[in-house]
Amino acid sequence: MRWYVVRRVAWAVVATFLILSITWGLLAITPNPAAEQMQFQAAASGGSAEAAEEAFEARRGLDRSPWDRYREYMINMATLNWGWSQSRSQSVTDAIASALPYTAIYSIPTTILSILLGLSIGLYSATHQYTKTDYAATFFAFFGYAIPNFWFGIILLLVFGVQLGWFPVVFDSDVPIFGLGMVQQLVLPVVVLVTGTIAGIMRYSRAEALEYVEAEFVKTARAKGADGYRILTRHILRPAAVPLMTILVGDILGIFLAASYLVEVVFGIPGLGQLSYNAIIAQDTSLVLGTTLIFTFVSVVGNLIQDVAYTILDPRIDYGDR
Amino acid sequence: MSDDPLLSIRDLRTVFHTDEGLVRAVDGVSFDVGRGETVCIVGESGSGKTVTGESITRLIRSPPGEIPDGEVVFDGQDLTTLSDDALRDLRGGRIAHVFQNPQGALNPVYTVGWQIVEAIQLHDDADQPTARRRAIDLLDRVGIPEATRRFDDYPHEFSGGMKQRVSLAMSLATNPDLLIADEPTTALDVTIQNQILTLLDELQSEFEMSILLITHDLGVVAEVADRVVVMYAGKVMERGDVFDVFERPSHPYTRALLDCLPGRGDGTGSIGGHLPPPTDPPAGCRFHPRCPHAVDACREGEQPPATPVDGDEDHVVSCVHYEPGGDPSVVRGENGGTVPADDPAADGGRSPDVADDGRPDR
Repeated sequence: MRWYVVRRVAWAVVATFLILSITWGLLAITPNPAAEQMQFQAAASGGSAEAAEEAFEARRGLDRSPWDRYREYMINMATLNWGWSQSRSQSVTDAIASALPYTAIYSIPTTILSILLGLSIGLYSATHQYTKTDYAATFFAFFGYAIPNFWFGIILLLVFGVQLGWFPVVFDSDVPIFGLGMVQQLVLPVVVLVTGTIAGIMRYSRAEALEYVEAEFVKTARAKGADGYRILTRHILRPAAVPLMTILVGDILGIFLAASYLVEVVFGIPGLGQLSYNAIIAQDTSLVLGTTLIFTFVSVVGNLIQDVAYTILDPRIDYGDR
Repeated sequence: MSDDPLLSIRDLRTVFHTDEGLVRAVDGVSFDVGRGETVCIVGESGSGKTVTGESITRLIRSPPGEIPDGEVVFDGQDLTTLSDDALRDLRGGRIAHVFQNPQGALNPVYTVGWQIVEAIQLHDDADQPTARRRAIDLLDRVGIPEATRRFDDYPHEFSGGMKQRVSLAMSLATNPDLLIADEPTTALDVTIQNQILTLLDELQSEFEMSILLITHDLGVVAEVADRVVVMYAGKVMERGDVFDVFERPSHPYTRALLDCLPGRGDGTGSIGGHLPPPTDPPAGCRFHPRCPHAVDACREGEQPPATPVDGDEDHVVSCVHYEPGGDPSVVRGENGGTVPADDPAADGGRSPDVADDGRPDR
């Protein structure tokens, strides 16, 4: 198994390398808006557009061979020298480092809450299939699935922020991170994200657990005299954890990738999603690249963890020394 | 040791509430299991024998299952009214179960050792090293070679027969008084079947336990049973000492089952027709639509009461021909020999699913 883990890690490195290379290739063939602007200005003021382009390329180092440029790009990537953000007047890594904590403070509680609640409601539904509580949980799950995050966020802001005044409408990043004020302004975003993610986890854990509720080995466990809680956790949840890993990792990545954009923009949280969103609006290429790569690395690492977790969770998965 | 039977089931009813209607899987079943005795329940698939076994410790899923009435008296205690906690103590404690499919009966994500230790620790305060030692002893006792080394193996590293041995070891973990074995050999191939049956027999005398063996295989019955309960569509058709039932089969259904055995009857028999629909069983005797001796009295009222055969209170049959005023020779023929089963040509295409694995009669 150690050999398998080593190979998975190596593959994650290769995948990252490929992603970086493809990104470079796409950027290299994309027309540079700044260069076009230079050419336009030169032509407008009677100069030579071609000379302006050459001057621009020489200034940016674009007149070197593609290989040299590629090598420098890769070295910069590896040494975390990710370029300068023009729109924020700071280095890309600094911009990301200052945004990351704001993403973490709502996504970590969201992840923990949605897994805890999703799993418990799903398991309860599975063991109480077709009861009123099961139907209520299913209704709640589909409500969370169906309702668009950003719209639900706006409605919650209107009701609880504007009309009732229980929670602040605008996120204040000066509030200390570990304090009641922060908790208060994170309640609504976390509620919005949890209602969205809990549904998937709940439905999947219900379906997976149902597969095992009727299993022969669960009957064996009951025949051994195990009580309901022990059967649920040891004999249903534990084997169900193997397939559940997939959806859990997928959902957690989903929070980072898609939901963070919507929620951060609606609630005004200065996290990675908003950073990336503003960079795209401002056409700040190096910052767009930096934030996109962060999301990509999170996916690569998430999938790596998932692959390794499979082998730990399911003894039947044995890759031998392949 | 008292003279009371260890387990005494009286008029047990188990029903399932399904979308198609009420299924009376077990419909008024009575029999006893004496101490140290092996009792076999036989019947074709769907006759309610498994549900009977699982109703004893209320293992049936509820809902949809329900035990509306009847008594299950185990060592003087009625289990149908016992609290869930007390019942859990009995399950895997004094009453152990072994199920049909060893492939599914073990949890794939735990080692077999862990699962046996769990069975021990659910009922005893044994610490980990003690429980481990006992589990290894049990594995050794049921014939797992190199038990110490196999303790940490996962179920998928065992063959079907070995898994069934592990299941047996697990069920014996707390030295039970009653082992309910539900078709423990059906999923295994014939040579392994015999090994497991022999093992059961040895373990029975060693652990001084009673066995309730559920099977569709009359060959198995002949080999291990002290007493037999023949079930059909949720009802007991005939029960008695194994020699009485095999020598003087009295119910037409028992006779038909025996005729299906190779080396008995013409050896090619099958019982014509189908089991009645579980939601809508026929009036009168449940077997009358397939019975060659059915008369008008069989088609109305309830299943006939259990009537002693030839005045033998221990061998009873549920058939109108044995009731006072009836004529048993209608079923038995003049000389009491076996009669051929229903014309196989009229069987509606039903495959012979009883005793069809070619086990020789002993």
